[in-house]
Amino acid sequence: MTAVTPTTTSRPRALTFGNVWLSVILVAILFIYPFVFGKTLNFGISTLLFAGFAMSWNILGGWAGQTSLGHAALLGIGAYAMTLLATPERLPPFLSSPLAPWWGALVGMVIAVAVAAVWGWLTFRLQGSYFALSTIAVALVIRLIAINSNWTGGAEGLFMPDLPRPFGLDLFDRNVEYWLAFAFVVLTLVITHFIRRSRMGYALQAVREDEDGARALGIDPARMKLLAFMLSAALMALGGSLYALYLQAFEPHTILELPLSIQIALLAIIGGRTTIQGPLIGALVLSIFGEVFRNVFSSANLLIYGVLILLVTLFAPNGIMGLFQRAGSKLGTAR
Amino acid sequence: MDGVAVTAFFQTLVQGLLTGGLYALIGTGLSLIFGVMKIINFAHGDFLAIGMFITLALFKAFNLDPYLSLLVAAPLGFGLGYVIQRFVLARLGDRLGEGSLLATLGLGLIISNTLLLGFGAQPQSINVPYAINTFKFGGVQVSVSLLIAGIGTVLAISALNLVLYRTELGRAIRATAQNPLGAELQGVKTANIQAIVFGLGVSFAAIAGVLLMPLLYTFPTVGENYVTKAFIVTVLGGLGNLPGAVVGGLVLGVIESMGAFYISNNYRDAYGLIVFLLVLLLRPEGLFGKTVKRV
Repeated sequence: MTAVTPTTTSRPRALTFGNVWLSVILVAILFIYPFVFGKTLNFGISTLLFAGFAMSWNILGGWAGQTSLGHAALLGIGAYAMTLLATPERLPPFLSSPLAPWWGALVGMVIAVAVAAVWGWLTFRLQGSYFALSTIAVALVIRLIAINSNWTGGAEGLFMPDLPRPFGLDLFDRNVEYWLAFAFVVLTLVITHFIRRSRMGYALQAVREDEDGARALGIDPARMKLLAFMLSAALMALGGSLYALYLQAFEPHTILELPLSIQIALLAIIGGRTTIQGPLIGALVLSIFGEVFRNVFSSANLLIYGVLILLVTLFAPNGIMGLFQRAGSKLGTAR
Repeated sequence: MDGVAVTAFFQTLVQGLLTGGLYALIGTGLSLIFGVMKIINFAHGDFLAIGMFITLALFKAFNLDPYLSLLVAAPLGFGLGYVIQRFVLARLGDRLGEGSLLATLGLGLIISNTLLLGFGAQPQSINVPYAINTFKFGGVQVSVSLLIAGIGTVLAISALNLVLYRTELGRAIRATAQNPLGAELQGVKTANIQAIVFGLGVSFAAIAGVLLMPLLYTFPTVGENYVTKAFIVTVLGGLGNLPGAVVGGLVLGVIESMGAFYISNNYRDAYGLIVFLLVLLLRPEGLFGKTVKRV
């Protein structure tokens, strides 16, 4: 049993403070985006949603260090719940207010949290790659249910029905969707900042670095990992609801497949899973890369993910943020 | 049970065993790699896809009989695996555990997307006249290509066993699996052995791809379906346990085939996944392995 290395737990205060400013700068950039690039809102929305997914994944995958390769299932739960309950006939009359589509998002979050609780309770005794394998299996079972059930629309998937306009907002308007995705990213960012400085955040990092050591300090690793998984699931499902709004129509093939789960995990890892803004930066960088290379590689857009993850694994184990931090500390010592 | 039901039962069983044989072949490569390096190769399905596309390309270019592609795919797979271990995985050093998951995921994405660039997303198949022929034993029908695949599986796994238990290389491999440091001290060049083992594992995936090609369509992400089968097989048999992988493959094939026939064909893939999860949770050492220490 080795002690938790002090470098990960006692960070200089100045660096943490700088971290907040980095978040503020990133949010400011995202805030300005629609005013400057109003013509490419689709790109902005999908980038933001994936940034949010990656940050949600990171609560479990980065802070708790549990590499899940099945998170698309949780995203899918959110998307399905929102779409199914957006049909007024499926809701009790007193809920069929203009807020109707959002009840679905809420239900999706509750279901996702419940699924995560059972899922985590079953699988957290497995370590490392075994845990990753089990998440693939659970996600594939959920996918099979979606494909073979009638109420999910089977392999054809679902269409988002006509939606009421809460406060006069057209939810199919790209501008509205951009700000919803923006709010999702800000929410996830604020929550991760909050966790970072909380007792739970320190406990999670201790669990990630050394489970036995954490237990010796009086932390219950299983409980901490479960909490992280449930929080991660709730945010994933919320993001999934927004993704369903953005897509308007989806099928199990697009929203529940393994490559989507892998893509989300890789965004966070390439960006830097041990940092707060890493997943956000990973999503921004990879979206831009993907856009640039789209003409070159057309549908083979995941090629760039493959190349980058290989480079990051070999040369920058802490991701893009890790590179920044290393460069920053070198500058610091040079001065 | 009347005669028809008995025939149907045996038909399902034979079908399951033969498909299971192929799963065993895919799983053996994965299990071999795990046994020696203690890593799970997430690109295994994509190496299988490489085998399929080599067969497809040679057939299209030279009208080469699919089974002759083995002569190209097996050594090429070996070389590829050797190089990947030498120049990628070996560089991870003490970060091999977590790093190998990411590195092999990345390699898999590179392979499947390169295939997509080269061959397009459209499912493709090859047409050999004997592929549609069937054998008949009693009332049980078996397609010729599935039978050939079954025989190929038996031959490949037997050959691997001969190498492992009858040759000096095999001794070195087993020594490296048991205790890398001890083997190194005895003069075994473990870095080289690990590269050979990774090469053998990839080669087995490629061989499985060749044997599958006359039976199926191929497309760049075809490996995804099979990599999960390989995971199931190896976990069923116990990771790193080669005879276990064979039995695990057969069990998976039969479970799928029986479930599809007697319960519902729609959930064909689910039966294996559920058994997989149960075994992973209740007996991580595998169905047939003796209790080993948890990894």
